[in-house]
Amino acid sequence: MSLRVLAAAGETFEAPSAETFWQPLIGSGAFAITRPAIVYALSVVLIAAVLLWATKRLAVVPGKRQMTVEAVYGLVRNGLARDIIGSHDFLKFVPLLFSLFTLILVNNLFGIIPPIQYPTMSRIAFPLALTLFVFVVYHFVGIKRKGLGGYFKSMVPAGLPTWIVPLVFLLELLTFFVTRPVTLALRLFGNMFAGHIILVLFILGAEYMLLHGGIALKLVSIPTFLMAFVLTVFELLVEFLQAYVFTMLAATYIAGSLADEH
Amino acid sequence: MDGNLAIVGYGLSAIGPGIGIGLIFAAYINGVARQPEARGMLQSIAILGFALAEALAIFGIALAFVFS
Amino acid sequence: MQHAALALAASTAEVPGNPELPVLPHTGELIVGIIFFVILYAIVAKKVVPRLEKMFAERRAAIEGNVEKAERAQAEAQAALEQYRAQLADARGEANAIREEARQQGAAIVAEMRQQAQAEAERITTNARAQIEAERQQTMVQLRQEVGRLATDLASRIVGESLHDEVRRRGTVDRFLADLEQTPTVTSR
Repeated sequence: MSLRVLAAAGETFEAPSAETFWQPLIGSGAFAITRPAIVYALSVVLIAAVLLWATKRLAVVPGKRQMTVEAVYGLVRNGLARDIIGSHDFLKFVPLLFSLFTLILVNNLFGIIPPIQYPTMSRIAFPLALTLFVFVVYHFVGIKRKGLGGYFKSMVPAGLPTWIVPLVFLLELLTFFVTRPVTLALRLFGNMFAGHIILVLFILGAEYMLLHGGIALKLVSIPTFLMAFVLTVFELLVEFLQAYVFTMLAATYIAGSLADEH
Repeated sequence: MDGNLAIVGYGLSAIGPGIGIGLIFAAYINGVARQPEARGMLQSIAILGFALAEALAIFGIALAFVFS
Repeated sequence: MQHAALALAASTAEVPGNPELPVLPHTGELIVGIIFFVILYAIVAKKVVPRLEKMFAERRAAIEGNVEKAERAQAEAQAALEQYRAQLADARGEANAIREEARQQGAAIVAEMRQQAQAEAERITTNARAQIEAERQQTMVQLRQEVGRLATDLASRIVGESLHDEVRRRGTVDRFLADLEQTPTVTSR
């Protein structure tokens, strides 16, 4: 309905679509350097610089910046890795989980930090790249721990009736090789993508109504801006949550591959 | 008004996960109310369940774009 | 939405690299994603996590070390207290012994002094008695001579010079004195 009203006002309003996210900066085609690629690279440089700077001189009694890094590190190390993977062999996976968490968190936060305002993870390529590592790691540690045959055997829970085993095995195979990586990547992508579209829709819509609409629409644009603000705060929550969920699921998959029983 | 039927499909696909996530957090709140000391453990389980239920809605939005 | 679809079609025609569906990855971005994640992972795994883990280990060691130190200090304090108590008990015993000894010595000294004083007193008494006896004897002798002479003088004055005959005089005087001694008035002086 709003579209019709706006169209009647004279100019056309283009609702944000998937096309909004395609922003090549240098070159074109499959290997174009796009805006999210640069933001992603920037985030890696930023994280690496901050982490190296904050851990340059570590004291037993922490200072302010060390405390911040330690809080994030402690969340990943103790809250995720140790609790989910178990205290025996969680330390090997702490670097992976820590870099995943910080990278996703910073890239998500870029979605609402003003000069950048582009959630990198709303381009499926980046969640997919991260998922690829998780995928390789959890299969690798599973096969290394149990052997190739043992790994596939451990997918099926013990004590099932014989006739149901092939069915369950097929389902588990699907879970391990398709559902898990696809949902892992799509969850992050979908949340960021949808959240960013909603934000863009509200802000562009409010702007359009304010600039091109009549008096009634100008008034309506005020609650629309407010809504955009509320949704930005909501996005902040979702961004934290998704970074946490991605890391937690990665840890859960690794723990599942390491566990002796299915 | 014009639009896309795929988006309606996404709306339908979001109903199930919406109910599921509601149930998960209802159970989580119940659990914390009964045993506040189990909060930490329940929290990670609740978020895990939330993530798994949410996956269905995410499939919905992905497929909505595939078929739009 | 029609406009959007048109725009989509137009832009895909302009930039063929972008996949038509948002769920398909853009190759360049995928490569960037992989490469930079490897870089970040290498830095985190080689530098950041070892540093943090080393610090955690140090902190744990420091905490354990402090606990150990405190325990040691407590044990030392306990030992010192025991030692002090033992010393105190020793000192107390010694003081008692000294006091007891002093009391005994004092008693001995008092007894000795008393004995000495008694002996002295006895000696003085004996001396005094002996002296008195001697003086009495001397006085008796002197008195006897004096009385004899006085009596003779008196008698000669009474009876004249006839009585100066030695032998007779001695016998008479002696006899007179013996009488004198035997009379109750003289003995009961």
